[in-house]
Amino acid sequence: MAISFKNVAKAFGQKKVLDGVSFSVETGEVLFILGKSGMGKSVTLKTTIGLMKPDRGEIYVHGEAVHTASEHTLAQVRKKCGMVFQHPALLDSLTIFENVAFGLETKNRERVIECLKLVHLDESILNRKPQEISYGMQKRVSLARTLAPGPQILLFDEPTTGLDPITTNAVNELIAELSDRLNVTSVVVSHDMGCALRIADRILVLDQGNILALDTVDRIKSSSEPLIQDFLREAL
Amino acid sequence: MQLVLGFFADIGGMALFSLEVVRTWLRTFGQNGSLIVEQIALVAYRSLVTILFSGFFVGAILVIQFHLMLSKYDAVTLLGGLNTSATIREVGPLIISFLLAGKVGAYTAAELGTMRVTEQIDAIRCLGRDPVQYLIVPRFIAIVLCSLLLLVFGVLVGVAGSMVVAVELYNMNFLQYMESIPRFTGIWTIIAGVFKSLVYGLIVAAVSTYKGYFASGGAQGVGRAVTECAVYTNLLIVFANSFTSYFLENVQQFVNNTFGGF
Repeated sequence: MAISFKNVAKAFGQKKVLDGVSFSVETGEVLFILGKSGMGKSVTLKTTIGLMKPDRGEIYVHGEAVHTASEHTLAQVRKKCGMVFQHPALLDSLTIFENVAFGLETKNRERVIECLKLVHLDESILNRKPQEISYGMQKRVSLARTLAPGPQILLFDEPTTGLDPITTNAVNELIAELSDRLNVTSVVVSHDMGCALRIADRILVLDQGNILALDTVDRIKSSSEPLIQDFLREAL
Repeated sequence: MQLVLGFFADIGGMALFSLEVVRTWLRTFGQNGSLIVEQIALVAYRSLVTILFSGFFVGAILVIQFHLMLSKYDAVTLLGGLNTSATIREVGPLIISFLLAGKVGAYTAAELGTMRVTEQIDAIRCLGRDPVQYLIVPRFIAIVLCSLLLLVFGVLVGVAGSMVVAVELYNMNFLQYMESIPRFTGIWTIIAGVFKSLVYGLIVAAVSTYKGYFASGGAQGVGRAVTECAVYTNLLIVFANSFTSYFLENVQQFVNNTFGGF
């Protein structure tokens, strides 16, 4: 099992974002987390990688307890997990090469070019700064940077936010392709039901801090839950 | 009441954060050399012209004020000494540090705040690097070192500026201006100026890195962080000025009484 959540709760002030959520993600699986804004999707990802501590509950990544881990242990967990953020989150002062090589022990040029090719970019942009390439390209570079250390788990936080429909499709195809080619476990937070139906193995729907549904794509398609129906209508 | 409590909570937060920065620096000593040098170059480059101009005019303003008062008592010969002492000990470090806070402090808070709200700091953590070591330590050390050097440099320019004004505006002889300087400006004046510059530099570094690093809430949050950085830095520098002046006076008295002065 790659990731396991047991009764995890997290609140911000009076607002309960996660209220006793339990689920697990199998190795090699692509899990989509859907839900309206503010329903705890990004918090789920951030607690998985230890960027946020849950108020209660247990989180395991490849058997390692994240909820009680020290910063040193979390650094080890983060070597296994790569996270692609909502924003490209590239370091402005560094070149594309330096950004992609940031998580590598040694600044290996071949590895950087290999990762850029995985996201369909070439080495001509290596010496440019992030602000000198388009937003869509920045997103791809961000993905290349995440792939560079060779993570076993990929966490995507709304990877297509702010992108045009064509680039959105390209990024979604890329997620599916990477899961197939690299056999990594992927957890994708998204609003995009259409993409989820195409590439997810299972879909988890969060609502009011609880799991509304966690099932295979076929079963989700036949769900009668109004919120899921809304998402499905949006996708069609 | 809540405002006051919030202020002191922030001061506590800054102190703890600064301790963490120093601990991280000592733990990783020697690993951040190139980043620190890069930041020193950036801070110095950004601030040098501002410090030169402000330093010169601080000296000029003071000499005009002192001349106005001293001429009433026919004591213009003391102008050089009084002006140099006041510039080094009080006004120079104070005004120049305000400018440095506006220039370097605001820039640092805005830069770190933007990195925080665009998730760059989270990305650094996710890639297995410590953002305090990678981002904060180089900036903190660079600001403290540069503040100290720039303030000392600015004060020297201030002294030179006052001399130029005294010679050009009041037709004072250069030697006449210099003559009274040793009477008012001793080793304690220099110690006070350097010590205050160091304290103000620490304040600018601690406030700007803390406010930037913990910014939240998008563009509005970055704006708030920069504003709070400016307000806190200036307030703390004024407070620190009172405390350091009182502290240094007592230390000076103690040393003079115990060791007969030097």
